[in-house]
Amino acid sequence: MFQNPEIALDELPGTELLDWQNLHPNYKRCLRIQRTIGILIVVAAITTATMLLNVPLLKAGLLLSIVAVPALVLLVWPAISVPRQGYVVRDKDIVFRSGVVWQSVTAIPFNRIQHVETSSTPLDRRFKIATLKLFTAGGSSGDLKIDGLGQDVAEQLRYFVLEKVGTSIEST
Amino acid sequence: MKAPETGDWQRTSPFAILFFIGRTLRLIAKNAWQSLAPLFVVMLSSEGGLLDKIVLGGVAFAIIIVTGSVLSYWFFRFQILDDSILIRQGVLKKKQLDIKFDRIQGINTQQNVVYRYLGLVTVSFDTAGSASSEGNLPAVTRPFAESLRARIGRKHDVAEIDDTQDEPSTRALMRLDWRDMIRIGLADRRALILVAFAGPLFERIEENAERAVSEFVAVAAEMGLQVDAGNAVTIGITIGLLLVLLLIVVSIAAAALRFHNYELFLERRTLRSHGGLFTRHEHSMDLGKIQTLRLQQGIVQRLLGRYRMTARQAISGGGARSRKVFDIPVVTAALADQLRKQLLAPEGGALTQVPTSSQFVPISPYYMRSRLLFLGLLPAAIATIALWPKLGGSSLMFLLWAPATALLVYRNWRRAGYLHDDNEIVRRSGLLGYRTVGLLFRKVQRVTVTQSRYQRRKDLASLHMYMASGSVRIPYIDHATAKQLRDYILYKVESSQKAWH
Repeated sequence: MFQNPEIALDELPGTELLDWQNLHPNYKRCLRIQRTIGILIVVAAITTATMLLNVPLLKAGLLLSIVAVPALVLLVWPAISVPRQGYVVRDKDIVFRSGVVWQSVTAIPFNRIQHVETSSTPLDRRFKIATLKLFTAGGSSGDLKIDGLGQDVAEQLRYFVLEKVGTSIEST
Repeated sequence: MKAPETGDWQRTSPFAILFFIGRTLRLIAKNAWQSLAPLFVVMLSSEGGLLDKIVLGGVAFAIIIVTGSVLSYWFFRFQILDDSILIRQGVLKKKQLDIKFDRIQGINTQQNVVYRYLGLVTVSFDTAGSASSEGNLPAVTRPFAESLRARIGRKHDVAEIDDTQDEPSTRALMRLDWRDMIRIGLADRRALILVAFAGPLFERIEENAERAVSEFVAVAAEMGLQVDAGNAVTIGITIGLLLVLLLIVVSIAAAALRFHNYELFLERRTLRSHGGLFTRHEHSMDLGKIQTLRLQQGIVQRLLGRYRMTARQAISGGGARSRKVFDIPVVTAALADQLRKQLLAPEGGALTQVPTSSQFVPISPYYMRSRLLFLGLLPAAIATIALWPKLGGSSLMFLLWAPATALLVYRNWRRAGYLHDDNEIVRRSGLLGYRTVGLLFRKVQRVTVTQSRYQRRKDLASLHMYMASGSVRIPYIDHATAKQLRDYILYKVESSQKAWH
């Protein structure tokens, strides 16, 4: 029997009272180490270049101190941004929030997900974290990537989402 | 040729060789140097006069291309199965293509002059998945193409609930006449681009023209005519106007070439169009595949009171974007809304997409602030300060940039707006012209609400709706409205039982 009940907009489930799940506690440290490695490489490159080109010590020091400011920001930033990221898995969709200055809340309904992928770098694996990627038909702009999940959580989510995608397709 | 029967491998008509020759030539035109280099090497290393070499080279070139095309034809075979079409092709590198009927989003046909004389068409398939258009069936008979289309259409109809049975199967929606060709030609933006690119060229012409004019003045003087500088300017302007006129004629001719006898009709749930002077293009798109519907109006089109309508399908990355667009080159406002009703039926189509409608809800005027700041004031101030040491007081003129952008930003804000009902939403934007994009809520793939710091302070937000054909953004609306719309879209998507594609 076809039914078409009226929907009260106020009664639709909102995202205010959601119980946001935090990312893995190791994620901040992992990001910092990853960035430290990157910064060390840049510093090493600058140092060798200045030594090879016989740049005066004072100028080389100035150059490195210019690099130091963004480097410091990069290292401090995870402490600010990571606590503001979070996700909620609901019955019909997954919601992800992020952003410090530009805050955004993204929702992907399970019945629009094409496929799911988890990935982890060697460093990630050391910290037991992984990335979950949800692909929709919206091209790269329509995909959602959640970094810094616990390995077990990412795997569970992948399984759960796949399960959901399967049932939502069967019911259509 | 037989009607599409299940079973054997078949070849297309030998005239498909023409198609392969054309394709080879296009390929060579694209990567001219790589393809022709070996030939040049042969030509240069052999002995004999230059003319002989060129003739020899030409003959060799022709032989290679024709032989290649004949081989391509010989190895091109296809087979129509119950639910898919198999294509085997390739001379050295064999390739087998398996196109499932339910993945086919649309069937397009093309017919050049020779094919039209012979009653043949080239069929190409729009598939969701592969970006490149390898799915071509060159030189098949028109009845064959029709029956193939009917067969694939039937598959779709079985998959969907068909509620249009009591209606006539084909409805003519519109046709274009010669006046529309003029309208399309005039509104063609490519003509303007051509002028822009021709700018440097004109400068050189101008130099020569100046010399020519001065010579002309001298000659005229000898003949006893009075030609002064004023007349010379008039001549210059006339030449310029003639050039513009020529460009307009060329773009009108291009429009006629592409859209001559353009007709649009609806065949059950499939939108079809055909048109073209020499090569006849035929496009079709399943109504269910439409992701967004756009209505555009540039400056010229505004003067003419016409719009361009495009229906977009899901894109699958890659460069073949333009092929996934169904183009209705010129429509009136009334026709646009009427078409929209039919294209988005049965759920949608109730809203208007004509940008001049008074129903559009404006977005917050705070939209203008950051734009004014970053596009207007900041560049103006930087330019003034940076150039002050060089130009002195006259660098103050850069400050004029700010009011100029202010005007544009204001216009941009005035043009922004949105409109929605229970099933669909229409967004309006534009700067000089107008653009409206309409979509059904249930076809959204992902939805995001974003807030900048400034928006948070004013309790505003931007709503992004990601469609399979690209994203649609409604900036600077009330945060509460944005959240409500998002929750409603999620509800629509999650409770929808219909396929989005």
